[in-house]
Amino acid sequence: MAKIVAIAEHRNGKLTDATLELCKAAKELAGALGAEPAVAIMSKDDTLAKEVAKYIPLVLSVTNAALEGYTADGYTQAIKAVVETQDVKGVLVPHSYDGVDYAAKVAMAIGAGIVSNCNKAAVEGGSVVFTRNTYNGKIQEMKKVNTDKFVATFEKGAYDMEAAGGAGTVTAVSADIANVRTKSKGIIETMAGAVDISQAKIIVSGGRGCKDADKYKDVIVSLAQKLGGEYAASRPVVDSGWTDPARQVGQSGKTVAPDLYLAAGISGAIQHVAGMKGSKCIVAINKDPEAPIFNIATYGIVGDLFEVIPAMKEKL
Amino acid sequence: MKIAVCLKQVPDMESKFKILEDKKIDESQIAFKINDFDNYAVEAALQLKEKAGGEVVIVTCGPDRSAKDIRQAFAMGADWGIHVNDPAVEAGDNFVVASTLQKAIESIGGVELVLTGVQAEDDQAAVTGVMLADLMGWPHCTNVKKLEVNGTSLTVNRELEGGLNEVLEMSAPAVLTVQSGINEPRYPTLPGIMKAKKKRLDVKKAADIGASAAAKTDFIKMFFPVSEHKAEIIQGDAATAAAKLVEKLKNEAKVI
Repeated sequence: MAKIVAIAEHRNGKLTDATLELCKAAKELAGALGAEPAVAIMSKDDTLAKEVAKYIPLVLSVTNAALEGYTADGYTQAIKAVVETQDVKGVLVPHSYDGVDYAAKVAMAIGAGIVSNCNKAAVEGGSVVFTRNTYNGKIQEMKKVNTDKFVATFEKGAYDMEAAGGAGTVTAVSADIANVRTKSKGIIETMAGAVDISQAKIIVSGGRGCKDADKYKDVIVSLAQKLGGEYAASRPVVDSGWTDPARQVGQSGKTVAPDLYLAAGISGAIQHVAGMKGSKCIVAINKDPEAPIFNIATYGIVGDLFEVIPAMKEKL
Repeated sequence: MKIAVCLKQVPDMESKFKILEDKKIDESQIAFKINDFDNYAVEAALQLKEKAGGEVVIVTCGPDRSAKDIRQAFAMGADWGIHVNDPAVEAGDNFVVASTLQKAIESIGGVELVLTGVQAEDDQAAVTGVMLADLMGWPHCTNVKKLEVNGTSLTVNRELEGGLNEVLEMSAPAVLTVQSGINEPRYPTLPGIMKAKKKRLDVKKAADIGASAAAKTDFIKMFFPVSEHKAEIIQGDAATAAAKLVEKLKNEAKVI
């Protein structure tokens, strides 16, 4: 039977949440297509293959000393071996840092079309229709492949995590891994800093709309101090050097869940939302009424943050 | 080192978007600019050239309007460029663009490094650079946050989740896709803008460079997302809305 294969992701000997989300995606899609759901896992041994078998009926385990750490060349060769030997129709990959690094290369290696950064997949007339974010989350589009096989990457949270409970079969797949052209020299921390914003009850966060470093300080930092909370920022503020990296919220920074998260001049790109959507009360202040941040906020003010925030401070 | 930078022109994301016939955006109300991530790639290339010499060539697929932003990269300091202006490429997908870029870069000759943004702000696919590397037969690294070049040895930091970076070593020729924040892109100077007008820009059709790839994906339609949880929008002028918000945070949400 044709297979829909999710690629497992692991770091420091643990499966990522995205892996369990893709187990759910593989089951749903395989069900709708009359195919068999499976997970392929690349590792130095099959410890984690046994772990992921709790979530999916079939695990295709590629073990090789060259797969101890992630490399695009290593993963592509291993996944290609799985696709070529296992009657694979579709490959599902997390739209994570590693996923983005290898998914398109896998698509090239197996001659498949790829639809990336998807948040939904549905079967219509026998083919899979993918929905994905475009234009900074302002517009969605639907796409499908016109090739026999497909590769798709899914953004975090596109599917709920599959619950453990089964006892799937682990099948070994052998792959020759040769000519790995990148060499990892290790993983380093780049956001070390004295402040730990993840413990704050109140966070005032500023984005690109804060205009410059002085205005960010005048508005965001001072409101945070007035509220007795911490100040934080979205990626463009840190990229521009207006505050230090330890205060960056989002996929590439900190994950926070305070009682109050006030986002000013932040559009609400999915990478930012990933780091703060668990907050109890979210306030959005933005000039653009179409900004995606209003889709997840509790309260919103459509207006100029340089007028709204000073007015707020007067009332505190 | 001869460096090619793949640059895309994209809408300013602050624009008011309107969708026409479920198929495309209404460009009449849109301002266009260099894809932010590609702007960092241009800066990275210029810094390498300043340090070790060489040449920076801009390669762009796009309609007539793209020429403005290729000239913008020239004004920053890029040397010359290739503009593939072909409706057949515009109608294609990331694979068609990657294949066209490959042919354009091969036509330059002697390119040792390709830099581009990790993704385009409009398409958000993050696949074209990786496809290009595969077509060239070169290694790649995505989400590059730091880059050091020593001869043909490359040391790069690849951004990971939660503030982590992986440090990698690889050899040129290679394709690197750059993440924002890797540097501080310069603004063009007035002399730069004057010089940019005279720099060489070759305008090509796909056939001129031997590109003829067919799309592997089909676009179906586009639409505005329907939100499941829309914020309670607090009305009034700034002072009124701010006062109401403070009141709600105190007495309704009870979070301050």
